[in-house]
Amino acid sequence: MTAAKGSAERTPSAARSPFVYRPTASPEEAARWEPRRILITNVRSIAGRAYPRLIGLRREPSWILFEILLPFLTTSAFVFVYRALQSPPEYIGFVVLGGAMTAFWMNVMWMMAAQLYWEKDQGNLERYFTAPMSMMAILLGMAIGGLLMSTFRAGIVLLVGTIVYGVVFSVDQWFLLLGVFVLFLTALYGLGMMLATLFVLWGREAWHLTQIMAEPVYFVSGLNFPVARLGLFGAAALGTIPLAVGLDAIRQLAFAGSTNTGSFISPEGEALLLVAMTIVFIGLARYLLRIIERLARQDGKLITRTS
Amino acid sequence: MTALAEAGTRWSRQADPESTRRQSIAQVWRGFLTATRLGWQTEANWTNPVVYFLYAVCTPVFATLMLVFMIQVISGGNAPPAYRAYVVIGSGLWSFVVAGIAGLAWAVLDDRERYRMLKYLFVSPNDLLVLLLGRGLARMMVGAMGAIVTLGLGVVVLGLPLDLARIDWPVLVAAMVLGLVSIVALGLILASVAMQTRQDSWHYPEAVSGALFLIVGAVFPLNILPTFAQAFGLISPLTWWLEAVRRALFPDIQSGIGGAGSLYASLAGHDAPSGIEALLALLLTTVVVTLAAVATYRWSEHRAKERGLFDVTTGS
Amino acid sequence: MPVSPTPLHSAAALAIDARNVGRVYKAKPNPIVALDGIDLTVRPGELFGLLGPNGAGKTTLIKILTTLLLPSSGTASVFGFDVERQTSQIRRIMNIVSGGEQSGYGLLQVREQLWMFSQFYGLGVREGWRRVDELIDLVGLQEQRVQKVSQLSTGQRQKLNFARGLLNDPWIFFLDEPTLGLDVSAARATRELTLAWQAAVPGRTILLTSHYMAEVDEMCDRLAIVDRGRILAIGTPAELKHRVQSESIFRLELDRLDRGVGALARLPGVISAASVAGNDNGADGERNTILVKLVLVDDGALGPVVSALAGLDAHIVSLQKSEPSLEDVFVELVGRGFEDDLTVHQNGTGLRSAGSRPADEESVAEELAGRSR
Ligand SMILES: Nc1ncnc2c1ncn2[C@@H]1O[C@H](COP(=O)(O)OP(=O)(O)OP(=O)(O)O)[C@@H](O)[C@H]1O
Ligand SMILES: [Mg+2]
Repeated sequence: MTAAKGSAERTPSAARSPFVYRPTASPEEAARWEPRRILITNVRSIAGRAYPRLIGLRREPSWILFEILLPFLTTSAFVFVYRALQSPPEYIGFVVLGGAMTAFWMNVMWMMAAQLYWEKDQGNLERYFTAPMSMMAILLGMAIGGLLMSTFRAGIVLLVGTIVYGVVFSVDQWFLLLGVFVLFLTALYGLGMMLATLFVLWGREAWHLTQIMAEPVYFVSGLNFPVARLGLFGAAALGTIPLAVGLDAIRQLAFAGSTNTGSFISPEGEALLLVAMTIVFIGLARYLLRIIERLARQDGKLITRTS
Repeated sequence: MTALAEAGTRWSRQADPESTRRQSIAQVWRGFLTATRLGWQTEANWTNPVVYFLYAVCTPVFATLMLVFMIQVISGGNAPPAYRAYVVIGSGLWSFVVAGIAGLAWAVLDDRERYRMLKYLFVSPNDLLVLLLGRGLARMMVGAMGAIVTLGLGVVVLGLPLDLARIDWPVLVAAMVLGLVSIVALGLILASVAMQTRQDSWHYPEAVSGALFLIVGAVFPLNILPTFAQAFGLISPLTWWLEAVRRALFPDIQSGIGGAGSLYASLAGHDAPSGIEALLALLLTTVVVTLAAVATYRWSEHRAKERGLFDVTTGS
Repeated sequence: MPVSPTPLHSAAALAIDARNVGRVYKAKPNPIVALDGIDLTVRPGELFGLLGPNGAGKTTLIKILTTLLLPSSGTASVFGFDVERQTSQIRRIMNIVSGGEQSGYGLLQVREQLWMFSQFYGLGVREGWRRVDELIDLVGLQEQRVQKVSQLSTGQRQKLNFARGLLNDPWIFFLDEPTLGLDVSAARATRELTLAWQAAVPGRTILLTSHYMAEVDEMCDRLAIVDRGRILAIGTPAELKHRVQSESIFRLELDRLDRGVGALARLPGVISAASVAGNDNGADGERNTILVKLVLVDDGALGPVVSALAGLDAHIVSLQKSEPSLEDVFVELVGRGFEDDLTVHQNGTGLRSAGSRPADEESVAEELAGRSR
């Protein structure tokens, strides 16, 4: 919306003071919000927080190169490793699928996990805590902005990869595939929300933890090969890392009938696992937010800009 | 205050007005050393040594493991050991690249967005370029640690055929020096980018190093790639650096550049480059990349100054 | 828990009701006592000022009242809502702006940034845009409407913060040094805006902290002088000034004072004597006088001082009875001025110090605070 349009929209009511909006008779009345208003405020806050994310993308398009084209090349590198090994064709499909799905993981690691910590460094966290919405709404808004971008990136990698490297998918259960994908996103972004809160608690080290975790997670998640091949590690990954579960389930569903996708768990089972993860991670995020608020109010740290 | 900023102000205290205009080599050198030392402190002071060690080695070791495992999955027990060695060396050395490219860009982002010191660094009498280089070098030490551990594990656990008596030390040393220069140059280009982009560009360096991974023959010989991609590989100094180091350390390993049907073979007329040939090509490409990097950096600095980008915050 | 807030019309809840609020920060090497038993009540509709030197605990008190910090002891409520437990209610009806605040996202434009915040307060999408534009006009940011936030000047930035603070039409507005770093006219605009807002929407309460005496004097209905976590005095500006006035203040210009102002401070009837810098005519070498601010128990004490001066071999160049300012109140209570060029000698229990705090200021403060009640 442009400024001009915005000004034109304003109601020229001379009677109303620009200071007042929704007049209330007393502070008590103003503080009394029915559940519906609380809900609406939180929903709007999600949109409000997602908004700068989307603006950022539009305002600075360098991410198209760095978030889409270059990662596609990285994915291609693994395709050529398999080519060098003359592997069965599905494996190249696994790599393309993995390349698409990593978009979400990268987004969670880089743009979510450390984001709340950044907000603190920018002096935003205190303002957020003094506003009436729930911090969960802020976290969700943050997640959604990044989610849209990652979906775009994943879509491009998948599409171009499929065409360029001639990947053949075979899907029998479309609905299950879609369901698993959505659950994968909720679990993954739930994890992102939890990490975001954890990183506020851990401070500067969190930043480095992101880096420590990145590659090991790729490895144990079976980014480029069925996770079951990792044996015990693979099983452990399936129990804890949404990326591993999502990848494994989608791999099984997108290459139906392939002999190379064998797993410990059926896609249905993995869907349930993702539901459980979503609940646990979001629950933990909520819990940690409370802890952060409590500690912040007790010690006068954590949410105050320090550097 | 960041160590980098500290280095800046420390200098500014030493500098008299005359030297502001015309710094002596010695001064620049002293400043560079200070920046490196302080850069190292910022790099290392956030945690205890154990976590720090993990931080340095996790990424390269697991990246290598991933590739080794891919080979294992496809070829089962009878994986060709030569190819495995090739992959381990390539991805182990890559640790330098990742660390080196990211270091400078992150210094820019950190100091602009978090510490809000970039503007002060810029106006300090020292060249911001030198300060950034110092910081970048410090970060490369992290990369070195990762590379050494990965290669060490490769030798001990995976049986890489390392024979200390057969190492070509002169080529190795020359290649490492030139390679580091070219990596820092690439890092400088990324720092120039970071100066222009928003805060969320943290992983741009990773994206760039990931993309380079495809064309430099780190984990598969170039001849697998389409010809045009091979051409990009041949103009990248990293390709030649990897080749020269590989040659110097493991004389028997296959060439990543030449081989049947490679662009190199058809251009050069022989199958694979010799160590010296690789060195010369490395020298040439390094010079080109370094010049390009300095030019890019100066342009970026100029544009940043023009648009007042040194003291913005760009969160979203 | 079901707390039934008292409706405003009947027994109106106090806008701020702080009882014996204490706050200790964990810190190395010793814990810091930032607030030490604050008792404060602010009525709805009041513009209340907090005046105090750096580190007095003003921001700490505001953080407690804005639910960012828990009190270590005591209780506090805002419009009847407890700051510890009823945080949601308080957050719905208050807002806060502090000087030098940098919140928001640099990549956003002024309008966008405000709109984002409007959503956090639950304004509708269009309602948000409309209100944002209104507020932009109100604070005078029309020309910066679509400028990026990271490119704003300090003054523009503070206008933006003000607009943000008014988004939810708060019942209580906390202003922590809102004019910090602003030029004279921007600071005045800020003050006028604050007053206009309060006049336009009756019943709104403001808690303001500032280092500018004149600002507090001009704006506040009542104020508290705070130092080292304690309230030294509360009252209207006039009341506080009157208190100092009851002890006559003179500006005394002397040609010389070889034995220092301390000699004057020891005279009977003298409460304090401070040498005031800034009248240094020594540069031209002609008139080199000493300016002393004398606080006396009453005018009658002047006689003995004048005669004593002769004994000190000092001649009076000029003598003027001065009207007290808040600064005088502050100096008397806190024992030092904001600027360090004010040297105060307290007369009392043998306290002597120059340029720094009296050794046992606590007791003086307590005595003064005791007197004020
Ligand atoms: N988070 C914190 N941790 C430890 N000590 C703190 C913290 N915040 C404030 N303090 C200390 O508490 C005391 C009161 O600080 P406060 O910020 O409330 O003072 P103030 O009156 O607002 O000062 P100023 O006028 O300088 O803003 C100071 O000594 C300060 O150092
Ligand atoms: Mg303060």
